[in-house]
Amino acid sequence: MKNTIRVERAIKNITQAELADLIGVSRQTINTIESNRYVPSTVLSLKIARVFNKPLEEIFILEDTD
Amino acid sequence: MKTRFLFPYWCRYLGYALIVAHIPVMLLRKMIGFDIPGAPFDDSLLSPHHLFFMTTTLLMAVGLFLAAFSKEKIEDEQISQLRLDSLQWAIYVNYILLIVSLILSSDTEHILFLNLLIPLVFFIIRFQWKIFQNNRLLKKDGDLR
Repeated sequence: MKNTIRVERAIKNITQAELADLIGVSRQTINTIESNRYVPSTVLSLKIARVFNKPLEEIFILEDTD
Repeated sequence: MKTRFLFPYWCRYLGYALIVAHIPVMLLRKMIGFDIPGAPFDDSLLSPHHLFFMTTTLLMAVGLFLAAFSKEKIEDEQISQLRLDSLQWAIYVNYILLIVSLILSSDTEHILFLNLLIPLVFFIIRFQWKIFQNNRLLKKDGDLR
């Protein structure tokens, strides 16, 4: 699964730290999600989507290998 | 996500302190010579030997326990996942070593002692190493716009 969080952050102009504060996780967690080393739970994904005001599918995209 | 059954963050340092504190007590025990093979052995409850064994082993075991199962500064689902992964690794390593040592050795007392140490020590090292790696990667490429 890949995601567009880095792009969305750039559009909204917030840092990893600010996004982390908004959804109540550590900066490390945001960083591992962005670099595809951690797949967030549904709850966390929904929280991220809510911050960016976009449907889930626009931020998290399934890959062929999934 | 709620993490249950974890000690507060400061317990980690209490745990490390206990582990460090157990070293001089253990050395004292070695110096006095309680552990000399063939020495007269008094294994009644609360005998000096028993008390000494309790203080050294308990200090270490409780220290490891506290250090292993205290909360991180920020507890989130990714940390829970890391903790779970590390626990799985620790159990694997422990059982592999246990099986190997059971085959190769008949020194059950030391096997038991190793078995007490390895899961928690390996868990702590693996868990903290992963956290360290995450922090290093964050420093390297974190907060890029």
